[in-house]
Amino acid sequence: MNNIQPLRGEISIITRMTADTTLFTLSTKPEYEVASSFLPGQFLELSLPGVGEIPVSYCGFPSNNGTIELCIRHIGHVTNAIKSSAKGDYVGLRGPFGRGFPIDTYGGMDMLLVAGGLGIAPIRSLLLNLLFVRKRYGRIRVVYAARASRLLLFLDELLDFKKNGIIELLLAVDSLAVGEKKNPDCRIALLPALFEEMKIEPEKTFTAVCGPSVVYPRIITSLQNLGVSDDRIHISLERRMKCGIGRCGHCAIGEYLCCLDGPVFSVAELSGVEGGIA
Amino acid sequence: MKKLRLAITGMTACSGCQLSLLNCENELPDLLEKFDFSFFPLASSPLDLIGEYDASIVEGCVSMPHEKKLLLELRNRSRYLIAVGTCAVFGGVAALKNDEEREVLRKQVYGSSSIVESTFRPLPLNNLVQVDASITGCPPEKMELLRLLGGLLAGALPVDSDYPVCTECRIRENICLLTERGELCLGMLVSGGCHARCPSMAVPCEGCRGPLPEANLREALRIYAEKGFDRETVFARLRRFCPEWRL
Amino acid sequence: MLTRFISDQNLPDFMQKLRKFGGIEGPLRGEDGGVRFGNLSDGTTPDIHAIRTLLPAKKYLFAPEERLFNYTLQEGYKILLEDISPVTLFALHPCELAGINYLDRLLGGDAPDPHYAARRSQITLIGISCLPDEFCSCHISPSPLQALSDIFMNIVEGGFVVTVYSSRGKEIMEDMKDLAEERELPVPQDARRFFGVSLPLNVMSEIDTGLPEWQKLADRCLGCGACSLCCPTCACFNILEFAGLDGVSSERIRYWDNCLFKSHSMVAGGAVFNKGRAERFIYRYRHKQRGFGPLRGVPSCVGCGRCRAFCPIGLDLRVLTELLERSAV
Repeated sequence: MNNIQPLRGEISIITRMTADTTLFTLSTKPEYEVASSFLPGQFLELSLPGVGEIPVSYCGFPSNNGTIELCIRHIGHVTNAIKSSAKGDYVGLRGPFGRGFPIDTYGGMDMLLVAGGLGIAPIRSLLLNLLFVRKRYGRIRVVYAARASRLLLFLDELLDFKKNGIIELLLAVDSLAVGEKKNPDCRIALLPALFEEMKIEPEKTFTAVCGPSVVYPRIITSLQNLGVSDDRIHISLERRMKCGIGRCGHCAIGEYLCCLDGPVFSVAELSGVEGGIA
Repeated sequence: MKKLRLAITGMTACSGCQLSLLNCENELPDLLEKFDFSFFPLASSPLDLIGEYDASIVEGCVSMPHEKKLLLELRNRSRYLIAVGTCAVFGGVAALKNDEEREVLRKQVYGSSSIVESTFRPLPLNNLVQVDASITGCPPEKMELLRLLGGLLAGALPVDSDYPVCTECRIRENICLLTERGELCLGMLVSGGCHARCPSMAVPCEGCRGPLPEANLREALRIYAEKGFDRETVFARLRRFCPEWRL
Repeated sequence: MLTRFISDQNLPDFMQKLRKFGGIEGPLRGEDGGVRFGNLSDGTTPDIHAIRTLLPAKKYLFAPEERLFNYTLQEGYKILLEDISPVTLFALHPCELAGINYLDRLLGGDAPDPHYAARRSQITLIGISCLPDEFCSCHISPSPLQALSDIFMNIVEGGFVVTVYSSRGKEIMEDMKDLAEERELPVPQDARRFFGVSLPLNVMSEIDTGLPEWQKLADRCLGCGACSLCCPTCACFNILEFAGLDGVSSERIRYWDNCLFKSHSMVAGGAVFNKGRAERFIYRYRHKQRGFGPLRGVPSCVGCGRCRAFCPIGLDLRVLTELLERSAV
């Protein structure tokens, strides 16, 4: 782990996902070996020279060839500037930081992965980890919603997994665009509606959730109604994690620091913590 | 790297903000390496607007029809339009009398002369066009202008700050002019970034950088009243640089 | 414990010899009446009885503005560590020592912040005893804080009872043999101690965020930042990067930040996690009295009284503490 010093990475592939979201594949130099040793749900600090540094969730699988995938929405100071970056451009990398999804505890369990919007990024990382040793887990269900069909990220990949029968996939969008045909694989509904007719075995299910924090209360209630206990609902929180190492003071949630104690928390851990779940 | 094409101009203002840039004498050679100052009437013979600009940097508020036309034209031709200086961001001193009738003001200044151009109430730029970034100050600090230009080269706009003049004043370990000296210092209501230039010289903050986004005006008025300054006095000073101060 | 006695008359010579070990920074009273830590060059007289400086000695360990890295195409991000000369911080009150001790825990330790560590390693701490005023909230009882200094000077009739607490302090005092009498003296009890060490139990219980008083305090707060800037243990920082005019290089700068600013909890896209000032007050209170992350359970109010003394409207953490003590009863 490199805590302080940003190490050299290079943008090797740029994939435009939507009008405001891009998948960057980075290649890293040998000194940055940790590229292959992160846990899904952890984050790194990405530097863009002359612009600044931001926390970003890993969205891919830990590779052994030093590549890192980051799915970035262009809505902030650094993320807007990186939009005009080109292949071969330098980026600085620190990390991995934080506590990811506890995949060790997931062995033998059914997995229910829940993503809203850009929240698919760390959820995809978790999914790829689960699929790497698919036999180790029971059913894997992915519940994923976005505002519109064109905003569903990694859709082809997810549909492929579904077609191959290795995951079950429930998709939803808020609404259809004018003239858009309804896709039989995708409901028109808000995310919590996807849980309405779901049957799960709560005693052998873990859930992992990432999405905009405003939808967390409803998602958590839905999962609780399905019988999932709070210690089995793992959610990823967003905060201003400036330094990544528990020093800058920006990301406290109650007495936790999101960058060290999170960003993945169980709902049980957040019970009674003011401002934890919006 | 291709040079960035800039348009730099002023509306109703004193040209001080543009001059601040021209005063960066040590950096001008570097700037000329990286920027094409394609339209900069203050610094070169007048040229027409030609083609597109990577950024337009505009000083001053808008108070005349030809300025409005120029501003819309610049917006149409520019990737970024950046408001520079308090007048461009908040209206500034030209907007000081915005509560009074234009015609009355015209008569006061020009009498019955008929050669005066028509004017309207001075407006900050964002009342007419989308402004992508703002740098306040009367004038802005040189460093802010240079960082703006450096940022453009890196593909970034400046980060907004939200701290008051008091913050930098405390860092400089000045004696508080309001609480210790009883002077009408506006520091707690006004955006910082000036390194508390005036209070550091024992001159109370006049508010030239405009309102702090989360200024607590109600509480400030209470303290000013305790120190013997009534609302009218406080507002008169506040509105010198930004007419929009309201409780 | 072996102590030494330095008489008032010998203090100037003591200071002169001390300069051999590096520049001395201590409390100076300015013409405007303000007391600030500043360079005690030859001929200057420190105000050793001053109650509090405008900024704490924190400014020497953790600069208000510090260049951390520069970026060049050839070398990438390169850490900037300037050569720091040895500095002796003179006449630190126990609350200052407590503040530095807290910063050591936050920014020092096994994997220290490199910029902090570079400054800290060059700093010698000379403490001094003092008497609390109405703003101070350190309680009256013996103090373990003297031991956080290299040398501690207790002010007594006619001079100072000097105790050495580190090898660096010992080295310095070796050099002062002709100025300091070695004699067995009772070390006077310090009138102060780290306020945070024994908070009443009820304050350590969960914070009642529903109290209407939070909002009352928040409504009055100006958001000027004075309370955290002058706090010996407030160390929130922001980091900004600025591009050079060559279109390639850049520098990364760390600034003091403040949890009462909106931007403190703002993320890309504009979401703010501590929207209201009341929430920011709770955040600040929690940090000061209860700590978070690795310093969870470690209160960081050292009772120096600056936040109340310098707040334009007289708010301070003691108001909050008293409030919570009352509400917990």
